[in-house]
Amino acid sequence: MALLEVTDLKTYFKTQEGTLKAVDGIGFTLEKGQAMGLAGESGCGKTTAALSIMKLLPANGYIAGGSINFMGQDMSKVTGDKLRAIRWRDISIIFQGAMNALNPVKRVGDQITEPILLHENVDEDVAKKRVQELFSLVGINPNRIREYPHEFSGGMRQRVMIAMALACRPKLVIADEPTTALDVMIQAQILQLMKNLQTELDLAMIIISHDLSVLAETCDLLSIMYAGKIVERSSAVEVFANPQHPYTKGLIAAFPNIKGDRKMPASIAGNPPNLIRPPTGCRFSDRCYMVQDVCKKDEPPLIEVLPGHFAACHFVQPRR
Amino acid sequence: MVKDVVAVKNLEVWFPVRRGFIESITSKEQRWVKAVDGVTFNIKEREIFCLVGESGCGKTTTGKAILRLVEPTGGNVKYYGPGLSPKMIQEAAMTAVSKRRMKQEDADKDVEEGGVEVRYLHKSRMKDLRQKLQMIFQDPYESLNPKQSVYDIVAEPLVVNNLGANEAEREMRVKKALDDAGLRPPKDFMWRYPHEVSGGQRQRVGIAGALVLEPSFLVADEPVSMLDVSIRSEILKLMLDLREKKGLTYLFITHDLSVAYVFSDRIGIMYLGKIVELGPTEEVIKGPRHPYTKALISVVPKPDPRMKTEKIILKGERPDPSHIPPGCRFHPRCPFAMDVCKLKEPQPLFVSQEHWVSCWLESGVGKQ
Repeated sequence: MALLEVTDLKTYFKTQEGTLKAVDGIGFTLEKGQAMGLAGESGCGKTTAALSIMKLLPANGYIAGGSINFMGQDMSKVTGDKLRAIRWRDISIIFQGAMNALNPVKRVGDQITEPILLHENVDEDVAKKRVQELFSLVGINPNRIREYPHEFSGGMRQRVMIAMALACRPKLVIADEPTTALDVMIQAQILQLMKNLQTELDLAMIIISHDLSVLAETCDLLSIMYAGKIVERSSAVEVFANPQHPYTKGLIAAFPNIKGDRKMPASIAGNPPNLIRPPTGCRFSDRCYMVQDVCKKDEPPLIEVLPGHFAACHFVQPRR
Repeated sequence: MVKDVVAVKNLEVWFPVRRGFIESITSKEQRWVKAVDGVTFNIKEREIFCLVGESGCGKTTTGKAILRLVEPTGGNVKYYGPGLSPKMIQEAAMTAVSKRRMKQEDADKDVEEGGVEVRYLHKSRMKDLRQKLQMIFQDPYESLNPKQSVYDIVAEPLVVNNLGANEAEREMRVKKALDDAGLRPPKDFMWRYPHEVSGGQRQRVGIAGALVLEPSFLVADEPVSMLDVSIRSEILKLMLDLREKKGLTYLFITHDLSVAYVFSDRIGIMYLGKIVELGPTEEVIKGPRHPYTKALISVVPKPDPRMKTEKIILKGERPDPSHIPPGCRFHPRCPFAMDVCKLKEPQPLFVSQEHWVSCWLESGVGKQ
């Protein structure tokens, strides 16, 4: 059985102008120890998808359909104490912007001890010990547990966040733009750390980023999201070697390649559609270079192009 | 020969470290945060010169010091036009001499070369000059006032500088700036508020705000780092177009080497307040000489999982600019550090006509 199986997940937000369909029918499976990348532009619903799995949606957001099967339980139906028992112990999250995600008036050690004491029947000394172990695991001097967040640099704070996410030895860690605010050198350090931890602890991970190159470095699987839908998913190598959807091709072409020729990368003209009133047919049709009449009328289904490689485009044929 | 637009020489921006009461009586000397500590480069006409480095290396401070948005504490910043009148040049030189900030002969040389020393310009003159020297800011989500319409944001520089005879003329100039920034037709965007336009369009509003004064030199501080990758190259292309059409010169500041690689003509790699390597973009990226440059290039993520390359991941974080290590400032993190690196600071050494590097490895010391 897969560790996480998301089927036809729909997450909507109630707004004054109407219902915003942030996530509109996505599905994927994740096995133990696998890392999946979720890529897309800002506003495509990738963070909402992650928050739905953790059930951390804001008050106006709700899961409108589909299921999130995590270790045999449907997360979309779990509530109350049962939910609290799963959150952070089995699934944890590394939030976007480590700068702001830590409590500035609490010692970092205490912030990490908190979930351990809450979830496990251990005393404070054991928890403290665990925090020190976690600190050395993520490459921070264990003597720093009594310091406050402002005494850490940006990269170190991100390491604290990672230590916190690992505090209760979860099976799945969701990382939301884990390196976006960091310098390239620190980014490389953090990505290497995450990759090592993933193999060492046999963690499953979902890494969310708009930066395909970051995902290329860390993930086994890759899902490309556009306007609330997954338009392509496969193994990371396969998506880069053999992209099918025009949007995926555009995203890959948008990257300047420091190893390649010195030329300005292509951009994708236009803006993502309004998700309160999404266009009929293919949602990418307004920006697509190969758009035809059929794209404006019918929504393309996600079809299996090659074994394990899915794409949603009218001009993609299964190859067997 | 192509004319210089800006020439920076030994630029220093030091900030004093505030001391407590006890320390101020007991301790010896003032300590400084040496954000920029002796930076020298020039930018030629219609050139895109790029400063690359980690955050805190002083690249933004350098950009701001050129526009005197922070006051330099040492060195020179010369501006050679366009947009300078002979009267302005003469006057700037005379004032600097009369205030004993410059020697007569240096001032005469400036007049002869048609440049002004930005550092010694009087505030009111600086304000005039700043119309020619503009800045594009990093974060279009925070640099625009959410309570002002696009029109008000773009027109503000005109109001501040008292330009435009009447509202009609101002409106014309705002429309032209919006059109130049690719917000077409301008009347569709003029009365919107920042939250009503997309991220890429916001950055275009920021660019329009810089263009409205018709500058000739732009400092672009990480103009695309907050934008989605899919729209980054649109903004970069816009900046290239503007260079073609208006003959603009850019100082481009970024931490992203891959953007610098495709966009700039020459690159300066900064580390802890100093440029450690400088040269034509292609030469620096394809044939880096400084260990820091090599490390930076190696850690740029490649947009393809099949391209696994050897990474040189430097240990630790960048050191503190208030405690700059002696000798070569990079030596504590350098994988090739030798004894000499801890003692003496390396001097720039040309490895080709336009490409220099400050490293003891290049000077032959390491080969002995």
